[in-house]
Amino acid sequence: MNPDTITDAERFPTLTEEGRRMLDFLREHPHAPIFRNESGNRLTADEVSRVREFERDALLAEVGWRPGELPSWLDDFVGQCFADVPFYRRYGSSSAKFQDLPTISRADLSRDIAQFVPDSAPIDRLINFRTSGTTGHSLLLASHPVVAASYLAFHKRALRRFGIELRYGRGQVGVVLIGFQRKCFTYVSVTPTMDESGLAKINLHPADWRDPDDRAKYLDALAAEVYTGDPIAFAELLKLPVQTKPRVMLSTSMTLLPAMQQRLKERFGCPVLDLYSMNEAGPVAVADAAAGGHVLLQHRLYVEILDDASQPLPPGERGEVTLTGGFNFCLPLLRYRAGDYAALRFNGSEPVLIGLEGRPPVCFRNMRGEWFNNIEVTHALQRFAIPQFTLHQERDAGLLLRLSGAGHDENQIRNSLFDLFGPGQRLVLERVPSFDGKVVQYTSDLVASSHESE
Amino acid sequence: MQQEGPILESLTRRLAETPEEFLAEPRIGQTGRAHVAAVVGDLLQLLNASAQADELARFAGSDARRDRNRLGITLLLCWLLSDDWFRQTKLEARNILELLDGESNELAVQVAARKFVTDPDRREELARVALARLGFRPAGETLAQAQDRLTTLNSSERARVMKAARAAEERARQIREALVRKAAEESADKFTRE
Repeated sequence: MNPDTITDAERFPTLTEEGRRMLDFLREHPHAPIFRNESGNRLTADEVSRVREFERDALLAEVGWRPGELPSWLDDFVGQCFADVPFYRRYGSSSAKFQDLPTISRADLSRDIAQFVPDSAPIDRLINFRTSGTTGHSLLLASHPVVAASYLAFHKRALRRFGIELRYGRGQVGVVLIGFQRKCFTYVSVTPTMDESGLAKINLHPADWRDPDDRAKYLDALAAEVYTGDPIAFAELLKLPVQTKPRVMLSTSMTLLPAMQQRLKERFGCPVLDLYSMNEAGPVAVADAAAGGHVLLQHRLYVEILDDASQPLPPGERGEVTLTGGFNFCLPLLRYRAGDYAALRFNGSEPVLIGLEGRPPVCFRNMRGEWFNNIEVTHALQRFAIPQFTLHQERDAGLLLRLSGAGHDENQIRNSLFDLFGPGQRLVLERVPSFDGKVVQYTSDLVASSHESE
Repeated sequence: MQQEGPILESLTRRLAETPEEFLAEPRIGQTGRAHVAAVVGDLLQLLNASAQADELARFAGSDARRDRNRLGITLLLCWLLSDDWFRQTKLEARNILELLDGESNELAVQVAARKFVTDPDRREELARVALARLGFRPAGETLAQAQDRLTTLNSSERARVMKAARAAEERARQIREALVRKAAEESADKFTRE
């Protein structure tokens, strides 16, 4: 392969005539957007089989372990990391006690990702996933087409939990990935493990369309089985007169407030799943109200909750979500502090992440001088369908709430925060048309907010 | 290496039989079990030597990722030096500390601590290095023989490490290049994007 030119034959090694027709349909539809990029599944026939096999295993496998125990695969995984991964090899010998192993963070991955690629990983077909995040450490992550294709196994596992089996195949559009950004990577493809059902990644920003009215028309023409996106994109979708309805919607990347989830459910008449997913580890968990939180999806991903000193916390205590394992064979994670916070609770041997929040906790102070965690704010605002918001407490304890989206009752939002902070709380509420991608949701200038580590 | 020391095999056997306490995870921050500074302090006492508190501070470690292998080797050397032969020999505290700290630091770059227990060549290397830094050579060997064998062990390991380091750096370079190529930038399909 010439590294600087890539052909459709390389993007779609197993493409059939039916698949070609699907690509043409997606690209050349009269209401299609301006696709800015090209991409493909990249899977060879052998890899398609391999992904299918992985999917079978992932769907059947038990996910979890008992409190106080470690999963049976963990020892071997740690041994492989020490033998095969340059960064971990420098630790020296493996430790008898897993909890004594050092942790890593996003900053380590950001410094030099090559040190995390195992010696045994093939590099001729590496792909990358970039993420800017909100921590100042932009990431360029190593991955592989097989890894990218394997995401679907865990999506299917999440869907199965809610009684949904994906069934769209040849001649149908399986998924539309919906974004709403000024600049967005957009393309069309087909999914070989779903009999070449169509895939379109689109941007609802009007600048990507010949006519903004085409957005709804195109979505109706595609009549996709699944919509995936983040709450911002879904908020934009809610404004469009789309007639067709997907069978399910998957929300990722940002907090999906329950009221927003409810609006989407009512509008599209389908389940709306809130996935906890990240470039570093893929789909980690899916929210399940019946389980009380986010249930884990991957059978070879061990999740710990650690305190600031990297000590494991007992079930029920909040700390930083820390991951070991994963399915990205180009990026094995060994005690990776993900920068998200939750408590872990067990329903039998099924671990559930409770109160999952991105970013380190921030403490706010109420009018009585009491300090409380930002999760209380999330709870106070969860009944409002706000696509995205930030809350900042000034040095003088005044609050600035910035929020996107329309149609909320400002007085009700104010009252919810007054209930939490107490009467007399100064609060400025500012509406913004949109935020520029991911934001740091909670910040404070008050002293107790020194919990913020990044 | 001017003075004749113990039989080499007695030391390599001792290393092969290192008890769990000396293989334990060094205590760094709040993780690990073995307080290496305390172990070093006990060893010095055993050898009728002493050290200032600030000289022991270097055995506390601050970053597990950087310090755990070095301190793991220090622990092994503490076990080795608590052998009867060393206890009955007058050793300089300064030399002991230099061995436990400086030599551990150098070896840690090349070899995982546990290998000094499990690999016969590395056991021999650690035993010879310890003797040499304290001014001894194995019993029954001439100075030339001892120097020659230590150099062989050291240089062959160093050559292996250098070669591996060069290969690792070359691979890391290839990975960095592969990741920024257009083909990698185009990525591949996922049903969701984060």
